[in-house]
Amino acid sequence: MPVTNEMGAAGIQGGALEVVDLSKVFHTRTGAIPAVQGVSFRVAPGEVLAFLGPNGAGKTTTIKMTAGLVLPDAGDVRVGGVSLWARHDAVTAQLGAVLEGSRNLYWRLTVRENLEYWGTMRRLSIRAARQRADELLERVGLADRARNTVQTLSRGMQQKVALCQALMHRPHVLLLDEPTLGLDFESGEGIKRVVRQLAQEGTAVLLTTHQLDVAQELSDRVAMIRSGRLVLEGATADVLARYSQPVATIVAATPWPADMAMRLAGLPAAVTGVDTLSVDLADDRGSTLYQVLARLNPHPLLKIERHQADLAQVFQEVMGDAAGEVGGATPVALSAGSVREGAVTS
Amino acid sequence: MIGLLIAEWRRMVVEAVRYPLDTISGMVTLFMLFVGLFYGARYITQSPVGGGRLDTVVLGYAVWMLMMAATSDMGWQIQNEAQNGTLEQVMLVPWSSRLVFLVRGVMAIAAFLVPCAVIIAGLLAVTHAHFVWTPVALVPMALVLATAWGLGLLVASLGLLIKRVGQMMQIIQFLLLFVIIAPIAVLAGIGWHVVAMLVPLTAQVTLLRDLLNGVSVSHWVWLEALVNFAVTLIAGLALFGGADRLARRRGILGHY
Repeated sequence: MPVTNEMGAAGIQGGALEVVDLSKVFHTRTGAIPAVQGVSFRVAPGEVLAFLGPNGAGKTTTIKMTAGLVLPDAGDVRVGGVSLWARHDAVTAQLGAVLEGSRNLYWRLTVRENLEYWGTMRRLSIRAARQRADELLERVGLADRARNTVQTLSRGMQQKVALCQALMHRPHVLLLDEPTLGLDFESGEGIKRVVRQLAQEGTAVLLTTHQLDVAQELSDRVAMIRSGRLVLEGATADVLARYSQPVATIVAATPWPADMAMRLAGLPAAVTGVDTLSVDLADDRGSTLYQVLARLNPHPLLKIERHQADLAQVFQEVMGDAAGEVGGATPVALSAGSVREGAVTS
Repeated sequence: MIGLLIAEWRRMVVEAVRYPLDTISGMVTLFMLFVGLFYGARYITQSPVGGGRLDTVVLGYAVWMLMMAATSDMGWQIQNEAQNGTLEQVMLVPWSSRLVFLVRGVMAIAAFLVPCAVIIAGLLAVTHAHFVWTPVALVPMALVLATAWGLGLLVASLGLLIKRVGQMMQIIQFLLLFVIIAPIAVLAGIGWHVVAMLVPLTAQVTLLRDLLNGVSVSHWVWLEALVNFAVTLIAGLALFGGADRLARRRGILGHY
């Protein structure tokens, strides 16, 4: 018997997660703290959006507003076009979440008891919950741990079970707040594998993490937030291309001869070390690198590498830039492709 | 709805059976508290406790235990869930949080019935008292519990906002003891009738006691009990809904 999501049948048949102009100000004794300011993004079915930012940037507040755990001052969250606050129960039934800093599970219950409990609480029949629990445990490789209480599992195993509980009702949207934090390599890989599979199956995944390599590996799109404002959003590949430098580095197997700089005269290349040189490809029409290589011939080479930015570099650069931008007006510098930079407000 | 009931029932029973020491220590504490009070009072006064109506004393204690359980369980659960990091997941299920915690309150009492019966049997054995349960007492007993759940929702509302209900429960347990003893519901005068309708549980307890003692019950007491039940439950549900919204607005649902 296939496991169905009853609330899905009741109206919402999948669709994208849309976060529209969310804002939140927390009022404390020391004054008002604008935690999130006009944040908007969309996660399509089958897409993983990495939502990145430094501590205190507003990631967790945004993800909790998306889950309905924090009430926004303004804005809306929609799944399949249906507003979370207009049809709270129906939309919540399409959301699954693994929240950072929470256990997400009852430690005194066994793995299977937890999954059956959360499945039934999410409107699965007992039989369907049992079947789904077996299926998920098999998938994450914990079938042999089904009868263990959660408190006896390792942190990695607990996180896998937390992920399973969020998936019991086959949500269309999955919210993951630091899912691989503190996990060993193998456990982290296991979580990443499942996230990839879920995206392939059509789940929209909103992922927050400080592990930028994980974000780069998993995400189709990336959004960066700082001081409550979205400062960059775009397809991960476009973002990386946008921040990559038009520079190639050539590494020699042995030190360059003393006259190497002379040999490269007239070309946009410069010796940068005893066995390295860089080639400026900003005005390259396809032949620059070959011209340089012709001058290097027959010196033995080890590798030629074109600069490719990673998310860590992008993050560092964007957060550095944003520090000067977010307090002022709203500079939006659109580059080629679909990358939105500056204080992205819509 | 059935799924929600079953899920909560199974969770509670599994935890109670897997960790029996928690249940047993609670039972022993409640038993010893009564025995201490009973023999202590008899030793000090050198006279029979309850004016010879030991059955009424044991019954009052049993009602107090059930009222305490119904009133405190939801608040304790919210405190524990916030502490253990599961409260936010509970708030993510596609059911109203009011319904979830009300169901938990009902299931907690259902799960407490067996331990409670064992404690009462023990108390009857040591006091040599006995009482006859009449089916007619089921209605006021249900009113007592439903009102206590309403009161429990009031406590749980504060639990959602401040997460620490321990101090509050220490005060409430003595207030509950007071409503069992104070004969407010049978006092004459419109003013007292209004008080009985508004002070939770006073009329319901009087109704239960009078019916079990075979005393004729005035229409006023029935009316007071029903109004009191409705006011407390509606107030509890409304306040819990408001507290839920306020906690989400302040972003403190998961805080402890």
